Amino acid sequence: MAVTDIAVVGYAQTPSSRRARESEVQLLVPIVTEALQRSGLDRREVGFTCAGSCDYLTGGPFAFVSNLEAAGAWPPISESHVEMDGAWALYEAWVRLQHGDIDTALVFGSGKSSPSIPAEMWAQQLDPYYLAPLGVDPASLAGIQARALLDAGKATERDFARVVVRNRRNAKDNPNAQVAGDFSVDELLAAPYVRAPLRKHDLPPVSDGAVAVVLARGDRARALCERPAWIRGLDHRIEVHQPGMRDLTTSASTTLAARKAGYDGGPLDVIELSSTFSPQELILRDALGIDADSNVNPSGGPLAANPVMATGLVRIVEVAQRIVEGTASRGLAHATGGQVLQHNLVCLMEGD
Amino acid sequence: MSASTSKQNLVPKENLVPKETLVMEHLVSLTYSEELTPVLDRYVDALIDGRIVGHKCPSCGRVYVPGKGYCPICVVPTTAADEIEVSDHGTLTGFTIITPVAYYGQTETEPFVYASVLLDGSDSNLGGQEIVGVPHDQIRSGMRVRAVWKAKTDRSAEGVSNRGWGSVSSVIDAFEPSGEPDMDRAKYEEHIF
Ligand SMILES: [Zn+2]
Repeated sequence: MAVTDIAVVGYAQTPSSRRARESEVQLLVPIVTEALQRSGLDRREVGFTCAGSCDYLTGGPFAFVSNLEAAGAWPPISESHVEMDGAWALYEAWVRLQHGDIDTALVFGSGKSSPSIPAEMWAQQLDPYYLAPLGVDPASLAGIQARALLDAGKATERDFARVVVRNRRNAKDNPNAQVAGDFSVDELLAAPYVRAPLRKHDLPPVSDGAVAVVLARGDRARALCERPAWIRGLDHRIEVHQPGMRDLTTSASTTLAARKAGYDGGPLDVIELSSTFSPQELILRDALGIDADSNVNPSGGPLAANPVMATGLVRIVEVAQRIVEGTASRGLAHATGGQVLQHNLVCLMEGD
Repeated sequence: MSASTSKQNLVPKENLVPKETLVMEHLVSLTYSEELTPVLDRYVDALIDGRIVGHKCPSCGRVYVPGKGYCPICVVPTTAADEIEVSDHGTLTGFTIITPVAYYGQTETEPFVYASVLLDGSDSNLGGQEIVGVPHDQIRSGMRVRAVWKAKTDRSAEGVSNRGWGSVSSVIDAFEPSGEPDMDRAKYEEHIF
């Protein structure tokens, strides 16, 4: 049974932008510092550091090593890195804290998508024999997924547009969002397809950004934070790599991860989903059994800001922040990796 | 992305699979385009002007060339206000003499030097520098060197990237012995790389 007295006690994130002039490390330095300051923890006291990033984004081999400079890695520290969204770095830190010999951890996720051509670069994430040589890009696969949803009668293009309208409206209250505003469903549906049946607004923006989190356990968490966001359950599950070998209209791994994380279907004050393409919000709601009137992505979600490799950890921060600030008592954050929801993580959090 | 055949073998002949096995070459090229960070923008402008600048940490006083926009030891941001000029003379702290073997993309055919140079006034090495004007068997750690600048008209920003490598190559051709006596090991041993 997992330890349940580990909590988020500090956090900070950069605004998401289409193109940040600063280096990825320069994005990280102020927010790592701010997250530590918010928790009142000196960086020399941090027991374990874990980061999530992807060198392919900026094309800098070993860029993740430079990123570590934002944590102050001299004298040497105990650290690790995942070539995954920062949410999985948080997962590793959460497992590490359960060893019981340390009681604090620093986690960060960062990504600058602006230097690359994401459609070209992400094709390399697919299998090298059949799909990568075709250059299948994430938006095309999301289009196939959206088409499958339509064909199955599970959703309409109007449903996709409604998701976008709500997320962009929510994003108006999020100072870190990149795309926000009031739009009408009909106005959005009048736009041309970019990957039928997806229109540009069904796709996430290309973003640069970073996020940092401080975790602590037990009494240390209570000492560092008046109202810690306790991680009651955290689990991740993965499906087959080849997108053609699974039902793209459902997310079995999300359902399983939520169950293993202890989500019982009870009320949630806030839900943040890594629904990178608008149809995925519908799939994830269904996989989690979330009501239509639930408070999903009050931040605007990835459709408003998608700093890849930080997007999932931002979801955890958006939920944790509302618990720490006392506007929510129980929330669920979701992160995803791979193409068309291949790998999914669910984090269930509560206040005292 | 492009699939193409090359005259050079990617795999040694003895490791090649039998002819009847289907082989697919999948050569990938990815495109990146970006502006230099503001810190490197100023760095490259100075280089073209014949000056080497870095950032001096306001907290610990260490000088980084090029500047990073922060001090990785103190984790404090640095800005143009922390900019400082360093010398184009320095000490060779470490080196490798590389005998090239043929592999895909290798254009060198003769042994060459990759040296780290600690410029006077800097706390960080310039890595991967060519050393000229001295036989390879006389190159040593502690040797004093000076920059061989390209003619002003031949200098460009081309060699400077946000990835941090080749940070002077489009401005300085190589380093050559300056004739000064070797540096005491104690003065550079913390910088050997
Ligand atoms: Zn310093």
